Amino acid sequence: MSELLVVKDLSKSYRHKNYWINKKTTTVLAPISFSVDAHQTLAIIGETGSGKSTLAKLLVGAEAASSGYIYLNGQALQSGSYKQRCQHLRMIFQDSGTTLNPSLTILQLLDEPLKLNTPFDELKRKELIRTTLQKVGLLGDHMNFYPHMFSGGQKQRISLARAIILQPQVIILDEALASLDPSLRSQMINLLLDLQQQMGLAYILISHNLGIIRHFSDNIMVLSQGRVVEIGKTSDVMSKPQHKVTQKLLMNQSFQLKPIRR
Amino acid sequence: MNLLDIRNLSIELIHDEQNILAVDKVSLSMKEGEVRGLVGESGSGKSLLAQALVGVLDDKWLVHADRFHWRGIDLLRLSIEERKALLSRDIAMIFQEPMACLDPTTAIEDQLTEAIDDSQLSGFFWQKNQQRQAAAIKLLHKVGIKNHNACLTSYPHQLTEALCQRVMIAMALARRPMLLIADEPTAAMENTNQGQIFRLLASLNQLKNMSILLISHDLENITHWTNTITVMYSGQFVEAGTTAQIFNKPLHPYTRALVDSSPSANLHLPAKSRLMTLPGSIPILQHLPIGCRLGPRCPRAQQACVKAPSVTNFHGHKVSCHFPLIPQKKTLNKVTKGAC
Repeated sequence: MSELLVVKDLSKSYRHKNYWINKKTTTVLAPISFSVDAHQTLAIIGETGSGKSTLAKLLVGAEAASSGYIYLNGQALQSGSYKQRCQHLRMIFQDSGTTLNPSLTILQLLDEPLKLNTPFDELKRKELIRTTLQKVGLLGDHMNFYPHMFSGGQKQRISLARAIILQPQVIILDEALASLDPSLRSQMINLLLDLQQQMGLAYILISHNLGIIRHFSDNIMVLSQGRVVEIGKTSDVMSKPQHKVTQKLLMNQSFQLKPIRR
Repeated sequence: MNLLDIRNLSIELIHDEQNILAVDKVSLSMKEGEVRGLVGESGSGKSLLAQALVGVLDDKWLVHADRFHWRGIDLLRLSIEERKALLSRDIAMIFQEPMACLDPTTAIEDQLTEAIDDSQLSGFFWQKNQQRQAAAIKLLHKVGIKNHNACLTSYPHQLTEALCQRVMIAMALARRPMLLIADEPTAAMENTNQGQIFRLLASLNQLKNMSILLISHDLENITHWTNTITVMYSGQFVEAGTTAQIFNKPLHPYTRALVDSSPSANLHLPAKSRLMTLPGSIPILQHLPIGCRLGPRCPRAQQACVKAPSVTNFHGHKVSCHFPLIPQKKTLNKVTKGAC
């Protein structure tokens, strides 16, 4: 199989506990299928409650799927197999300030995934942490610092370092760029694009900012109420949106793209 | 006559050894019925400036200004009580994060009626409660909430973020202010809701001729809605002008970088190409660079930049830079002028 990540009929529904006879279920995510190649970025957009974050949680294994399969390099991922999954699928969260443990130094933070997943000894691990920090544009000596000593943009870089330290193949960015200041955001985008070229990473980008999506992604998937309403190449969808939901989303941001000349 | 005219406003944080200058000589003027954007990244002091305007800073902060005029009245000469009475009548402010600003233990009705003062109500004391309720419902209609009964009886956690923001705007409108300061009114909000809130503010501006000071960290977000924009960086004034001037012909390297770094503003850029950025990150308050605070990150920085530049005016387009980005001929003129 040529595709890196293939998702087949993945769905999620919750069962209400109270009803004994006619069990009621709420479907958060209708069965969806898609695939992502190496070096590619898939953007996911949609309103609140459209199932974007649920999809991200299912992919990293934070929640068990109700049905469907995830194939990575042609191999099916089991719901309990965190060891296999966390090496290849990593996630960066929205708020980097709260996702880093404040009581650990950067060295300890980045050491944890290595201890659990690699057979390296201490010296080798330290060396790897140093090179990874340099890769994301920080200094190797930063490893003895605590998270509160860094600015917001630097914290986001540390989250990125934690994501790429195990040489993953897919990184999921759940609104990871939303809370950054504009000048730091473009630095981060450049960094992500560089890493994609060097390491052949595939990104799954969940975002509201259509400008970034247009710049960053190859394919786009529009979700609405747990269903895929449109999927295709970013340039095609952006220029000729077919579905009503997509048109509405684009409309709401179109004013940002063209400032009025007064 | 200018509605608001501030010249060289400085805000200092009182500190053990040496006071920290958080906002350094910022000037701001607003005309009546104008929508002005105040743009700056985090730590640029834009929220501080707004809080100093309405006078809600506590005694850890020192505020002084060369000129502080509100509709021709010199506020620096008034006593604190007089100033408070004047400002609270004419200026209203919406704060960041509406959910956190509303009282979670009280229903919306009580919070909203509290904002309506007695002078607006006529009649005897037994009629006042009813009038107050009617006024609250009217305010909710004004901000576009049709189902007023459900909204009034609910608590803040039962409403969505956009509805809470509308309630905040309704509370701000209760005293019919002349100037509304909106501090990041759409931070962490969905696109659809963002559009709604901005449209509401724009209609208030047009129908009631209310001036709005729109504070945001993102230049691209607010360009559609503003007449004029002031840009700040790390507590210093950077550039001010009409929206078109700022967006199409920025004079300051920092504004240039802000415009260039936004992918939505540069549609001609091929996808996945590198974006223009400034190196480094925003300086923290404890370690501010001397002179022009952009200095260490600025691509055009030269030796002169260790001194803070003064504000130069090009046809109403004010910029604070030693080496502004203007056509070559003009730059030469300016440099020679500076040398003389």
